[in-house]
Amino acid sequence: MLGFLLTRVGKAAVVLLCITVLNFLLIHLAPGDPAMVMAGEAGEADPEFIAQLRAQFGLDRPLYVQLWSYVSSVAQLDLGYSYRQNLPVLDLILQRLPATLLLSLSAFVISLGLGVLAGTIAASRQGKPADTLISTIALLFYATPLFWFALMAVLLFSVKLDWLPGYGFETIRSGYTGMERVLDIAAHLVMPAFTLGLFLMAVYVRMTRASMLEVNKHDYVRTARAKGLRPALIQRRHVLRNAILPVVTLAGLQAGQLVGGAVLIETVFAWPGIGRLMFEALAQRDYNVLLGVFVVSAAMVLMFNLVTDLAYRLVDPRIRTT
Amino acid sequence: MFKKTLSAALLGTVCAALPAFAQDPVAGGRLNLLVQPEPSGLMLGITTNAATNLVSGGIYEGLLRYDQDLTPEPSLAKSWEISEDGLTYTFHLQEGVKWHDGEPMTAHDVVFTFTEFLTETQPRHRNIMNRVASVEAPDELTVVFTLKQAFGPFIRIFAYKTAPIVPAHIYEGTDFRANEANATPIGTGPFKLDEWQRGAYIGLVKNEDYWMEGRPYLDEVIYHIIPDAASRANAYETGDLDVLPGGTIENFDIVRLQKNEGTCVDEGGWQYSSPMAWMWLNNRNAPLDNPKMRQAIMYALDRELALQVVWNGFGRVAKGPIASTTPFFDETGPLYEHNPEKAKELLAEIGYDGTPLRMLPLPYGETWQRWAEVVRQNLAQVGITLQTEATDVAGWNQKTSQWDYDLAFTFVAQNGDPELGVARNYISSQIAKGNPFNNVEGYSNPKVDELFAKAAVAVSTEERQALYTEVQQILQEDVPIAWLQELSFPTVYDCGVHNLITTANGAGNSLRDTWKEQ
Amino acid sequence: MLDFLKRFAGNRGAVIGALLLVVTLLLAIFSPMLYPQSPWAIAQRPFLEPFTTEGYLMGTDTLGRNVASGLAHGAYISLLIGLISTLVSLAIGIPLGACAGYFGGWVDDILMRVTEFFQVIPTFAFAVVLVAILQPSLTSIITAIALVSWPPVARLLRGEVLALKSREFIEAAQLSGQSSTTIILRQIMPNTLSPVVVMSSMMIATAILTESALSFMGLGDPEIMSWGYMVGAGRTVIRQAWWISFFPGLAILLTVLAFNLIGEGLNDALNPRLRKRG
Repeated sequence: MLGFLLTRVGKAAVVLLCITVLNFLLIHLAPGDPAMVMAGEAGEADPEFIAQLRAQFGLDRPLYVQLWSYVSSVAQLDLGYSYRQNLPVLDLILQRLPATLLLSLSAFVISLGLGVLAGTIAASRQGKPADTLISTIALLFYATPLFWFALMAVLLFSVKLDWLPGYGFETIRSGYTGMERVLDIAAHLVMPAFTLGLFLMAVYVRMTRASMLEVNKHDYVRTARAKGLRPALIQRRHVLRNAILPVVTLAGLQAGQLVGGAVLIETVFAWPGIGRLMFEALAQRDYNVLLGVFVVSAAMVLMFNLVTDLAYRLVDPRIRTT
Repeated sequence: MFKKTLSAALLGTVCAALPAFAQDPVAGGRLNLLVQPEPSGLMLGITTNAATNLVSGGIYEGLLRYDQDLTPEPSLAKSWEISEDGLTYTFHLQEGVKWHDGEPMTAHDVVFTFTEFLTETQPRHRNIMNRVASVEAPDELTVVFTLKQAFGPFIRIFAYKTAPIVPAHIYEGTDFRANEANATPIGTGPFKLDEWQRGAYIGLVKNEDYWMEGRPYLDEVIYHIIPDAASRANAYETGDLDVLPGGTIENFDIVRLQKNEGTCVDEGGWQYSSPMAWMWLNNRNAPLDNPKMRQAIMYALDRELALQVVWNGFGRVAKGPIASTTPFFDETGPLYEHNPEKAKELLAEIGYDGTPLRMLPLPYGETWQRWAEVVRQNLAQVGITLQTEATDVAGWNQKTSQWDYDLAFTFVAQNGDPELGVARNYISSQIAKGNPFNNVEGYSNPKVDELFAKAAVAVSTEERQALYTEVQQILQEDVPIAWLQELSFPTVYDCGVHNLITTANGAGNSLRDTWKEQ
Repeated sequence: MLDFLKRFAGNRGAVIGALLLVVTLLLAIFSPMLYPQSPWAIAQRPFLEPFTTEGYLMGTDTLGRNVASGLAHGAYISLLIGLISTLVSLAIGIPLGACAGYFGGWVDDILMRVTEFFQVIPTFAFAVVLVAILQPSLTSIITAIALVSWPPVARLLRGEVLALKSREFIEAAQLSGQSSTTIILRQIMPNTLSPVVVMSSMMIATAILTESALSFMGLGDPEIMSWGYMVGAGRTVIRQAWWISFFPGLAILLTVLAFNLIGEGLNDALNPRLRKRG
């Protein structure tokens, strides 16, 4: 067990190192640098000004020196400093991470919950109108461009009906505490989480439905049916329990993606998350922040995968390879 | 359609031009504004971009403010005198001014700001301070600038955003850019930084020890951060915002919102910068090295169409190198009305073979994108093919400042005087790589150099006017760059907000006097 | 083959999908004849409402360009982006996955590490970064989409090959002394065709969606009139002129839907046993 764990952590570390190096090189391929961006924003510049900025950001050193110093500081769990924002990268990321995690996890729970539920219903009414309806709706949510759907939701629920706040993480300087604050954040969360969740739902609906139909054909289900057990009970106790395994495996893979995958939703709903931080850092060539976001999200995905694998091994000792 | 938008725009201006003087200001309340994009820092002496200018205008102050006709007004300087020969400027400071940390502000801070701080952090200052022989503080409340020779525009360099007074007791003897205090700016302004939730909002609160009795009126000023333009307009409609500062929403939405009852639109507040948009024409590359080719481009452009369709009538077609709101503007011909036939004639005359030219649009959102598309169609009509090169802000800066383009969109501030904001784009001493705002097009004309140099140091206004008129005539003929439009970025706000824009620098410099109906 | 067609035709969704795709294809092929003028041409006054003026069925956009013309020309671009990026990701994913599955051992370990590498970076975020760095153009958009979408192909192929490897006919081929290359190409690949075809149709759909999302983030190619570009450009005037972004949005929706339905139909028709995939 310990051996397995060590091997896995070792491999993860190698992947993480490669990600750091490759992204570092990739980002430096982009035209322009932070000094140019800041000069552009200032509306004026002279060579001395730009040279000063480059020296301050450490960009005047050869690329391999910059790479070495970055990799070695990451190895010491130091993600560096954002010269543009005058703050340590880790602080910036930690400020934004909770918002993204909250959004992604809610969307994930919504999509998985609704997806499995709708998929089960569809499977049990195979070929009937309910099945067609569910499959069609799920597909429509998937095929509609996400940002278009998001904009429409804001127009309807926020501007026209005034039911839900249209942007942000919470009411600014409301002074809410405790339960009041939780409810306030929840109200802000509804639209972004559902928009993202309904988009992701389609996959789970389809998979659950297919998987249930597959399991239905197995002998033990037939036996249960022959024994005269109630269909609902069969569905719940025998079919769903077995059909859910591939769904959970897929969900494990998807969950990792959620960390940085909400850029679009964060943009439309002004959600102060890590996806937005990444996008802005990219536009501003804030190298350390951009790399930091990649390193942190990759590390989280790797950790997540590791935990999933461990859980599988504990649950089912037959699984040897990953 | 065009008429309708135009009259709507006019209506908005009129509505805004009638501030409610009848009402007495009410103290208190919170003003909800927007800042876009999120500023990178709030230390105005170090970070100089439009977003920082807007937010930090409440925190820092300059010696002077400028009203909407660019006439200087007192700010941290109570009064000032200029000597007859134009060489000595004496400023008398307000009494009892304190920094946000409680330390008194004195003439020493002013001297430190001009001689040490800004000369290191701001390129513009290095140029200006080259003309200054000395800055001295004869007493705690007096500062004397002595110039090497007369410099007409000097009185206009003291705005909060070009010369914010910074605290010497915090910065003296430190590495300015690396100073940790930059994260918690200390100024003398009517508001103090209270909280900055990255990605969400910046909150300023009233400075209780402000030097001006009874000001500011507002208790709190909140700058919301909303990355998507459509969401920003929505947030105003749901009542979460009181003010949409210029340039934060699409022009279509301005037209739509101003039809709402209780919404005011003000085009003022941009007189100091008078931003003007143009296309750099790379004078080094054939066929753009030929003035006739550049004239042909001017005739091919339907600038009136772009103004109406892309900008919804907000702004004015540019009439030449100096904006019509900037001093010393003189309308000289030719004005290059839209004339595709004339353009084709010129192209035939120089034998243009249809070689495609590379165009760099400005990556500042949909309006600029549409504008590039209109230009591309305009030029296609007369037979000039453009290849659009998409790039982001960093790429744009890189390419323009390395001269790697044929045509490139840009907009540049005039800064209240041709010497401060215009000359740099045409004189040959400003041809240098690595700067996207100097003479990027590579135009070089000794006569123009000479005229600008003379105009800068001429003492009398008449003399300066004559020189600038002549330079405008030459440039109009040579068309070093393709002037497009004097930009207008209207501010949309709730009519219950008063005195929002009272200076030539807009809401960034006016919140001291702003109040809100309760 | 006939049997396959029959099964496919028996799936109502699949038939609808196929019809939608045919319409899109026809639109793409005949757009230069339907709308000979460039879709960028400023042809009428701006904000012309749909169904009001002859020749401007879907109205005009903010600059007075014909929305219907843009839609027709965009069909070609969107299909092109979907197809090419999918082909490229298949070209990367299939050999990688096949080798990993067939050879196993350290080859598998290394190749799967590479795949994992691409999978732990959030897909869309990585695409955004790639396009921004390469600067937006048709090529960079296709490259970015392909680079982020091949890992599932590799995983699928590896799984299929692993399952096939222990089957008798492969063992027989190995015993008869065929080379690895021959076995992979002749024996294994044909048997993995159906899941790959199914997956490809879904990938085309995702690619079209990704292109539109990139356009929304301001990372479209300014030289090409794609549906994503049209939605992105029209979204800011959605309150004043719904049609500018609605019609291309609908076109994206229908095309994505078509590919998904076809994918499901293919899945059922090609191999009923594999229904659980998708």
